[in-house]
Amino acid sequence: MMADTYDAIVVGSGISGGWAAKELTEHGLKTIVLEAGRPIDPAVDYVEHVMPYQKRYRGMGDRSRLDRYQPVQSQCGACDEYAGKFFVNDLDNPYSTPEGKPFSWIRGRQVGGKSIMWGRCVFRWSDLDYEANLKEGVAIDWPIRYKDMAPWWSHVEKFVGVQGRREGLAQLPDGEFLPPWPLNAAEAKAREVLLTKFNGERLVTNMRLAVITENHLGRQKCHLCGNCYRGCITLSYFSSVNSTLPAARKTGNLTLRPFSVVHSVIYDPKTKKASGVRVVDGNTKEMFEVKGRLIFINAAALESTRIMLNSTSPEFPTGLGNSSGELGHNLMDHIMGGGATGELPWAKDRMEVGRRPDAIYVPRFRNVKSKHPDFQRGYGFEGRAERPGWERGSSMPGFGARFKKSLIGDLGPWEMTFDGFGEMLPRHENHIAIDPHLVDAWGIPALRINCAYSDNELKMQEDMVVTATEMLEAMGATNIRTFKENNAPGLVIHETGTARMGRDPKTSVLNSHNQVWDAPNVFMTDGACMASNANQNPSITYMALTARAVNYAVDQMKRREL
Amino acid sequence: MRRREAIQFLGAAIAMQFVPRNAQAVIELGERLHRQIGDVPFRTLNAAQQKLVTQIAEMIIPETDTPGATSVKVPEFIDLILTEWATEEEKAAFLAGLADIDVQSVAMGSPRFVELAEAKRGEFLTGLDAKRPAKAGAAHAFERIKALTVYGYFTSEPVQVNILKTQMFFNGYDGNVPFTPRV
Repeated sequence: MMADTYDAIVVGSGISGGWAAKELTEHGLKTIVLEAGRPIDPAVDYVEHVMPYQKRYRGMGDRSRLDRYQPVQSQCGACDEYAGKFFVNDLDNPYSTPEGKPFSWIRGRQVGGKSIMWGRCVFRWSDLDYEANLKEGVAIDWPIRYKDMAPWWSHVEKFVGVQGRREGLAQLPDGEFLPPWPLNAAEAKAREVLLTKFNGERLVTNMRLAVITENHLGRQKCHLCGNCYRGCITLSYFSSVNSTLPAARKTGNLTLRPFSVVHSVIYDPKTKKASGVRVVDGNTKEMFEVKGRLIFINAAALESTRIMLNSTSPEFPTGLGNSSGELGHNLMDHIMGGGATGELPWAKDRMEVGRRPDAIYVPRFRNVKSKHPDFQRGYGFEGRAERPGWERGSSMPGFGARFKKSLIGDLGPWEMTFDGFGEMLPRHENHIAIDPHLVDAWGIPALRINCAYSDNELKMQEDMVVTATEMLEAMGATNIRTFKENNAPGLVIHETGTARMGRDPKTSVLNSHNQVWDAPNVFMTDGACMASNANQNPSITYMALTARAVNYAVDQMKRREL
Repeated sequence: MRRREAIQFLGAAIAMQFVPRNAQAVIELGERLHRQIGDVPFRTLNAAQQKLVTQIAEMIIPETDTPGATSVKVPEFIDLILTEWATEEEKAAFLAGLADIDVQSVAMGSPRFVELAEAKRGEFLTGLDAKRPAKAGAAHAFERIKALTVYGYFTSEPVQVNILKTQMFFNGYDGNVPFTPRV
């Protein structure tokens, strides 16, 4: 087949690929987006208003099917009877792990990628995060700082539509915010009490969310159905399908090709650049090539690095971008599953109307002003206060007419949960490589993932339980239940690293503009590029890095340096 | 089973001749017929077990001024979950627990739970309720029936639509709305 030629190729249409497509096409570049999965039509595929009684198992999931086809994916709660179709088939998409070292690799292969089911929490980093590696002598120094990123966060936040409350915190800088939903009565009181009891250090603030509270750039404000992970027919949360891809399409410069599984990048030793990509058609399994002047790899961290590891040539026998030997290394996720729930003593005469998809956040307070003796870095808490309503019925004592009346006519106590999300340190030994014996359904060599949490993360998780309990006790909460889950890494679905940015081609894969040292017309701007992972949810950072990298690449093209 | 489905289908075909002209009504009729045809008969619970599960489910959520567990088909839902959703081990533990309920009924005065006097049945379930959570035996079966009854009841269409009045569109969020329990 004759190869088509484009100004730019974007591999992947998820949260960062969508941004690459929007920015490249708006700069006038004829761009093809190659998406491994199927197309998505919101009118048909979004299922946020499907009621439990319209599903065979009332939303409990088609268990035998999930166990058979999605045993890994269904570890993520969003891979359920409604939204399971947005997660990959594990049989088609295998990977291996060493005995006793599981890794939960959660993936979405469709137009929009995981941006359809993502958590939508968006935070900036601060220099506390960017300087940590250098100051602590961990891994390598980031080649960028807050000032390099701030204008790009602003750029993407204005388009995304981010609700948030300005708090003026040094460790969690404010962004371009739309008005947030108010805290509910119980959370507002929690904020007030904790501010006093912890000298302002532990702050309950409104979750910063990519869900719009007022109409924004042609998208309708959120209608509070609470089921974002299943899609949104009013396009109220940000996703590639709802936002960036339509913007890219409007330019007339976008070609979107679903069912295009990218195998590898083609390197041309004459130009010392990449000339295009090899693609396997998702349906026919035929291989073809697409040529382009610029290539953005946005397949999601581990898939992006897998493509690069599979891009072998006489010049780069261990993969394109691997001259430093760091390609595939320094894999990170976050650590979650430490925290507590308790019943609050107040606001018994108040209730909520409307279902917020997310509620509150407690920004990092460990290792901000004083040093913690047991671990480096820190964590934040996601959480909410809610009244369980009828859902408390299975654990509530009793049965009969009064039991029934209480489940219908009362809501139960306000329960507040703090669920920690902590930083994982970059370590060389946490890595991915090509498994020599395993291929996916398209014949493409698959990954072997070798990753484990270390003491630092586990101690942090223990501390989450302690501080969450302290906060609940400070509020006079009762029936406090702590939890400390033993999740495999990957399950937070913030997998990052494996193609880190740096200042030196000897120790990093990408330069300060996400440009592959080995092939200057190839850019990696998804989670693969991260040199550390902070504790904040990462997606908005990938978006900002993508917009920044496109701007740089286009500028270099204009100067004829690319 | 086939016969029952065939009769329902026939009923549907006759009903179709009187289809209302109004579009919404047509959709509603279609959904109703679809549900009838899609009804799943009991496949795991035998007649005696059905009777037992139905009675306990109805004791957990009885018919009052609002429908009870039986009328929104909680027992059928429990059978579906046992048949298609539960693992073999879970199903076996559930059925063994049901048998244990009858075994324990003997001490209360009858070899069958369903034949105990109403007050005795209430006393028995109160005892099982206090033993939750339980991995096996009568208390385990009760725990599963209770969880599935609450879930099956409140996720059923009549309850979602008429009692909970579940809404999907809100004009905004208010987390400070006055509330008085109605109990």
